[in-house]
Amino acid sequence: MARRRSVMRRAGAGRRIPPGVLLAIVLVVAAAALVVTQATQSQTGQAAQQAGDGAAAAAGRAATGPVRAGENLLDRIGSMWGASARIQELERENRELQAWRELAERLAERNARYEALLGMPEDSFGEGADVEHSIAAQLVLDSGGPFTRTLVANAGADHGVRVGYISVNENGLIGRVVSVGQRSSRILMVDDYNSRIPVMGEASRVRAVLAGQATRPPDLYTHPFQMQSPRLDFIVGAQSLREGERVVTSGDGGLYPRGIPVGVARRSGDGWRVALAASQRPIDFVRILPYVGIERPEDTLVEDDGPPLSASSSFSSIGRETMTPPPTAPVTSAEPSRPRQPPARTTPSAQPASTQTPAPAQPRPQPPTQIEPAPAATQPAQNPPAQTPAAQASPPNAAPSQPPEQQE
Amino acid sequence: MNAFTARAPGRRSLRVWGLAFAVASVILPALPMGPLFAQPPLPLAVLWAAYGWAAEDESGWRAPLALGALGLLHDQLAGGPYGLFVVIYLSAYLLGRGAAVLMSAPNLVSLWGGFIVTTLFTILIVIAVERLFTPIAVIPYAEAALITAIIFPLVRPLYMSGSPSSLGMRR
Repeated sequence: MARRRSVMRRAGAGRRIPPGVLLAIVLVVAAAALVVTQATQSQTGQAAQQAGDGAAAAAGRAATGPVRAGENLLDRIGSMWGASARIQELERENRELQAWRELAERLAERNARYEALLGMPEDSFGEGADVEHSIAAQLVLDSGGPFTRTLVANAGADHGVRVGYISVNENGLIGRVVSVGQRSSRILMVDDYNSRIPVMGEASRVRAVLAGQATRPPDLYTHPFQMQSPRLDFIVGAQSLREGERVVTSGDGGLYPRGIPVGVARRSGDGWRVALAASQRPIDFVRILPYVGIERPEDTLVEDDGPPLSASSSFSSIGRETMTPPPTAPVTSAEPSRPRQPPARTTPSAQPASTQTPAPAQPRPQPPTQIEPAPAATQPAQNPPAQTPAAQASPPNAAPSQPPEQQE
Repeated sequence: MNAFTARAPGRRSLRVWGLAFAVASVILPALPMGPLFAQPPLPLAVLWAAYGWAAEDESGWRAPLALGALGLLHDQLAGGPYGLFVVIYLSAYLLGRGAAVLMSAPNLVSLWGGFIVTTLFTILIVIAVERLFTPIAVIPYAEAALITAIIFPLVRPLYMSGSPSSLGMRR
């Protein structure tokens, strides 16, 4: 029996499969099954592949780190020779850039102030101010001259500034130009001791005179350009003035436009003061407004050959000036409109007042400017003594003469 | 000591270099190192290891396990289905084992011929997988396999002993 076993063992020894081969066969079968499994169940394989990709990517980054660190190594080594010069160049560029940065910051701040200045509401300029031709200027502190509270603007005659122009900023009235140089101008602040400005309460219409009280120059260091509260003098109807009421220029006297914000009325002891609106913030940029006050009529007399008011009744005179005579003949619409005929060229006897006053119940078929010229120009023979010299000199069919202001 | 008196590298160091080349041929194509390290033209050094280790009578379990691990790693880095390169490398191992049994007196030509046959067989495996199971790129693998087969004599000492005739004696 034992001999038989040894014979069988020797006979089977030649066909024995080595463990390595057997393991290889098993692994091949398993791998083939894995390939088939992935082909049929793709989602499972993709999930495993993605998980493996993450680990492989991390391993790849770690493995290629030295390679990537060594990239351009020769270039970097070569650039080290010129590092000193490069550093100096960069430092120089850095200094230049810092200077540019400071300049940019200053310009940005100035731009913000300009924007705030240009964004002033229209009602802050007052009535009649020529806003379109206003001049923006920057102020510098100056206490020289006969006034103690003055500022110098960097805009002068070359920029169109004239004496008497008004200076405002986004908050309100600053002052008035009192002298003009070639490229600068002096602005008298409203709180100067010599400043007198006619003002009024915006709601109560109480008139007063704003009198500056400041006798010392403005303090540049502690309160730059801050203005002191001036006093209200000569208040007409002070009982109507209310605490906190906005005070604006009244335009009386013709030196300031009407309606420029000045400040807020504050009761001070037994009187009133105005907390200036312009002193809410330091004054830096201003807008200088051209303003020509209302002239007296006697200063600019216009020669008028019409009769004096005492020559006829006021009713006829007013009617003659403001009303047009009713049409005596139908006016075709194709006839072009002509300028208003001056009734002053005719005498009151030639144009009775009753005929020039329109009937109130009859609507006029054409605009009032379309005046029928027949009564004045086409019938000269009917009223020859009533013709004015100008009307007499013109031919009968000539166009009506221009009014005096248009002739000028 | 000079160049004439220097000893030839030992068998153990050659085997280590062969294993290093095999691992490098798996990893380098996955790294962003340019077209020179792509596969092809980089050869499939694991095929050399599989064929050589089989001819060296690696009847133990280390060779199949190492080939299986390298195959799985290659599958992962190449983005192919898991198991494909495992099948390829272990098939080459089994074919090498068969060739070692059949060759009573192997020489360089017979070993090279046997490796060419093994390489062609792996190409057939790839074609079969591509036709039957999943779409894979056959042409690049075939090009890499042919390059591997062509330069096999140059790297044979890394995976086989210096006297091929001794293989048959071991059998």
